Amino acid sequence: MENLLELSNIHTFIGQFHILEGVSLSVPKGSIIALLGRNGAGKTTTLKSILGLTPPRQGSVLFKGEPIQGRRSFDIAAKGIGFVPEHRAIFRDLSVLENLRIAERQKGDFERKEQFIFELFPDLKRLIKLPGTNLSGGQQQMLAVARALVPDNELLLIDEPSEGLAPVIIEQMMAAIQQLSAQSTVLLVEQNFVVASKLAQQYVIIEEGQSVKHGRMADLVQDKATIHRYLGAA
Amino acid sequence: MDVLGTLKANRTRFITLGVLAFLFFTAVQGMPTEDWVITILRGLSVGMITFLVAAGLSLILGLMDVLNLAHGEMFMVGAYVGWTVFVRPDTFVDVLSPLLLTVVGFVLLPVWRVWIQKVPFLLKQAKFWPWLALVLGAGLLWIAYARFPLAIWNPDVYSESPITYSLALSQGNLLLATVPPSAGWPLGLLGTLLGGSLLGLAIAGFGLRQQAGTMSNHISRGTWITTAVLLVLGLVTFFINSNITDFLLGISTTARFFVAMAVATGLGFVIGGLIEVALIRPLYDRPIYQLMITLGLSFIVIEVVRAIWGRPEFTMPKAALFDGSGDGCPATSFGDLIAHQCSTILLFDGRIRTYNEVFIILVGLVVLALVWLILQRTRIGMIIRAGVQDSEMVEALGINVRQVFTFVFAMGVALATLGGVLAAPSIGLSTDMGTRLLLLALIALAIGGLTSFPGAAAGAILVGLLQQFIIKYGQIGINLPFLAEPFKPSPPLVPASTVLLMVIILLILPHGLFGRNE
Amino acid sequence: MQSTLANRTAEKTSLADWWKANRGLLGLLILLIAFPFLLALSEGQSIGDVLANEAGNAKFMQGLLIEVFILAIYALSYDLILGVTGLLSFGHAMFFAAGAYFTGIAFKNLGWGAGQTLLGLVVVAVVQALLFGVVLPRVKGITFALVTLGLASVFHIVVQSTEMSEWTGADVGLQGVIAPEWLNTNTARFQLYLLTLLATFLVYLIYRRFVDSPTGRVCIAIRENEGRALMLGYNTFLFKLVALVVASLTAVLAGFFHTIHQPIVSPNVASLGWTVSALLIILIGGVGTLSGALVGAAVFRLLEFFLDRWFGNAANFLLGAVYVTIVLFLPYGIVGTWRLRSLDMAKGRARLMKLLGLGKKETGD
Repeated sequence: MENLLELSNIHTFIGQFHILEGVSLSVPKGSIIALLGRNGAGKTTTLKSILGLTPPRQGSVLFKGEPIQGRRSFDIAAKGIGFVPEHRAIFRDLSVLENLRIAERQKGDFERKEQFIFELFPDLKRLIKLPGTNLSGGQQQMLAVARALVPDNELLLIDEPSEGLAPVIIEQMMAAIQQLSAQSTVLLVEQNFVVASKLAQQYVIIEEGQSVKHGRMADLVQDKATIHRYLGAA
Repeated sequence: MDVLGTLKANRTRFITLGVLAFLFFTAVQGMPTEDWVITILRGLSVGMITFLVAAGLSLILGLMDVLNLAHGEMFMVGAYVGWTVFVRPDTFVDVLSPLLLTVVGFVLLPVWRVWIQKVPFLLKQAKFWPWLALVLGAGLLWIAYARFPLAIWNPDVYSESPITYSLALSQGNLLLATVPPSAGWPLGLLGTLLGGSLLGLAIAGFGLRQQAGTMSNHISRGTWITTAVLLVLGLVTFFINSNITDFLLGISTTARFFVAMAVATGLGFVIGGLIEVALIRPLYDRPIYQLMITLGLSFIVIEVVRAIWGRPEFTMPKAALFDGSGDGCPATSFGDLIAHQCSTILLFDGRIRTYNEVFIILVGLVVLALVWLILQRTRIGMIIRAGVQDSEMVEALGINVRQVFTFVFAMGVALATLGGVLAAPSIGLSTDMGTRLLLLALIALAIGGLTSFPGAAAGAILVGLLQQFIIKYGQIGINLPFLAEPFKPSPPLVPASTVLLMVIILLILPHGLFGRNE
Repeated sequence: MQSTLANRTAEKTSLADWWKANRGLLGLLILLIAFPFLLALSEGQSIGDVLANEAGNAKFMQGLLIEVFILAIYALSYDLILGVTGLLSFGHAMFFAAGAYFTGIAFKNLGWGAGQTLLGLVVVAVVQALLFGVVLPRVKGITFALVTLGLASVFHIVVQSTEMSEWTGADVGLQGVIAPEWLNTNTARFQLYLLTLLATFLVYLIYRRFVDSPTGRVCIAIRENEGRALMLGYNTFLFKLVALVVASLTAVLAGFFHTIHQPIVSPNVASLGWTVSALLIILIGGVGTLSGALVGAAVFRLLEFFLDRWFGNAANFLLGAVYVTIVLFLPYGIVGTWRLRSLDMAKGRARLMKLLGLGKKETGD
């Protein structure tokens, strides 16, 4: 099986703190894979290390078979990786349209994807002129995902898409992610195990900066002991 | 969000603005018409100069989190360079050639980088040779510069000092210095090119240690084109030196003043870009050290200016367009103003100076609108606005933020140098003008909201108005209840008032008038 | 660096160990005490001349070193709030200047003795720290820096204003202060030298102890991540206030010595430039290292002095160039960079020993 992304034994420091102490994982093309673990286990840092936002000091990151560790973030992203950060980090001073336009890598990216994006998130179409700061939490999250869809990204890194959202919105978000996974591979960080187990086919568990377990999601759902041990009461 | 909600959320802000507006109207009420009109115009003028410095400072602080303490000094450099172009165009043309040829070496930086990586010896000994290149380059430049024929003033001799040249021009005759004979100019040209290249090589070498492995090996076509253009310009300015000088001497002082503005702005853009690339860029992960490096830079710049232009203060004459007097002046109508190029205008029985109170404000407004348009209507403006909030996320979208950083730094410094040349005819030239204005700009920024562009404009204008109103009331006195004599604010109260306003506003609104709560 | 902190507390088991761990420091102290005598002997004066306060190079260099000690105390206090607690204040000069001016006014206008003055200084120090403390919860980061700059500027303007000239000497500066006989810089230079030297070392030791104490640890935690410290249940405001009070007490002490040592207290010591000096000193020495403040003060003052002596007008240019060079090539200051290097060197030496078969058990880094 061909892996779109492959991390082997990466170590990342933030300041003096050794956050990732050996994370290895592989993301096969065309799947949704969930990154699980407790708060502060290093899930977000793993995503940021892939993108070079917190560059790993050791280990290798292969994207489409090509080493990308040590490159500048914009360079890595431009190879076809989209990032949806936690806390719905959209640009609040920019309008919805500008938030989408800024993600263009080539002129006309937005026009090509416009229909697809508004099919996924019909709400955004009517909010197009509003500044980002006026959107509700759910709308901001939709915009953050939509922004990652504007250029042709083969891989999407999505961090905590359900965090702080109302159940109805979470349903919508899940449906959207399901739909977009037909086009791109998704590496998903998710605290909410129910959401993660419904979306992902595979999982990787991170514990204290190390990847400790991986496999098929269907197996994990049965394995109550593992869930209890690594994810707390789920 | 509905209107009422916005009102409620920003209650403190609106109340503060209301109180400020009330104070403003009270201050206006206490004066005769001609007094408050002129005070407001003066305040706006000071505000616009402050804005030109504050705008760059705010953009740089917002986008890169760098508090550029050398920004005031850039303002000062703008003033001195503008003065040189205006009062001594011959000197300006003389230094063009060595300057352009030196910059070639820096523009070729990407070429040096690639070249270094191809030579194993240079890669291995990166701790040693950059220092050698630095010393050699500086020495070579020192020798080469002396070979150029350069007609310059001499601050140590009164009859040849900038003061004398300024005075002469303000009386209508342009003095020029005699050109010393040039000795061995081919060596000068070659030495300058080589020296600049060595310095560029040294910078590339120092950079090697900090970012080994992540450097791009790409040489864009722009590098070669810029190099060629600079090379040609450098040689052309050398060989037809006297023609250019004659041209600059032939045009009217008004035209020459606009040339001075353009030169100062352009030079600021180049200097800003160079500072960002060479000094700020290696330090993005050590913010407090950026503060220190800009501080060190400001010391150096002040000393360089003192060495070249001398310590004493001097003035800059106004261009003819703003200096007319006699028949039909002070102007009472727009037609008169244009026809006689009056230095003053009569408005409500008060005399308004055309340059200080009209031209500066106009230029300030134009710049304000232009920068606003760039920020709101262009892609780079969009990236800047997004980057002010979260530059990491912008980079994660696949945008090379560092390039935008360089552009913004260059633009910010260009605005400051433009402010300098604009302010020079009004406030004169002194080596502490930069420091004073930096403080004023910082206060303006704090009041308006550190990283907000409209805030920078509003804060600057507020500071200017407050300052001028206090000065005016220092002359006419305030009639306070329970006091027999009118209260006259003493001069130290002028700086104290702006500082106090800042402290009060920050305590009420920690993010300034227009800043957003993060 | 955390591990060295841990080691340090573990070491303090007995007094003998403490002597051993600090022998470098003690050596330096003895050297500095001996310095005036050595210099006097090399210039053909006798030891008695130093004690008798004879004019000469030895007396002059003592004066210069007293300035270094005063700067060191002042910079230490700035390092405590910037380097340790992570508060960027641009108004630190006020802490120093208030001490300097109060001392002068107490001696000259009020006729107080040294003990009374010091007591008064404690009050001054606490009051001004509380004044900064008032704005502490409202503003953070660069805004705090600007508000403190504002407060200090108002102080600067007040001491400069003509209305205050009877007390502060307006923009000429405070002069004609006569210090008590036993610490007068003209008649008892060596006593003052010893006193400031001991005060510097004492302040340094107290500060080191403070940083190692639980309170100091919380201050460091605030610098690293205030949100986390808050979440752990610490009232970070109180800890920052404590740091401010301690720093203010120290800076006031530096101001006290400054007034005694200098013939004129210039209003410049209340200006932004004076705060910047403190910033430069600890950046040269290494932010948050404490000993960096001592090294930085020495480098700062001596460099300034000798560059001025040798190069005259060009001194400021060279000074700026030196700062830029230090920032670019000694990224963590002198002490900070040296610590990192020596850590690397120690590792390298251990590896070498192991290779040669001489290796003792590695004690960990």
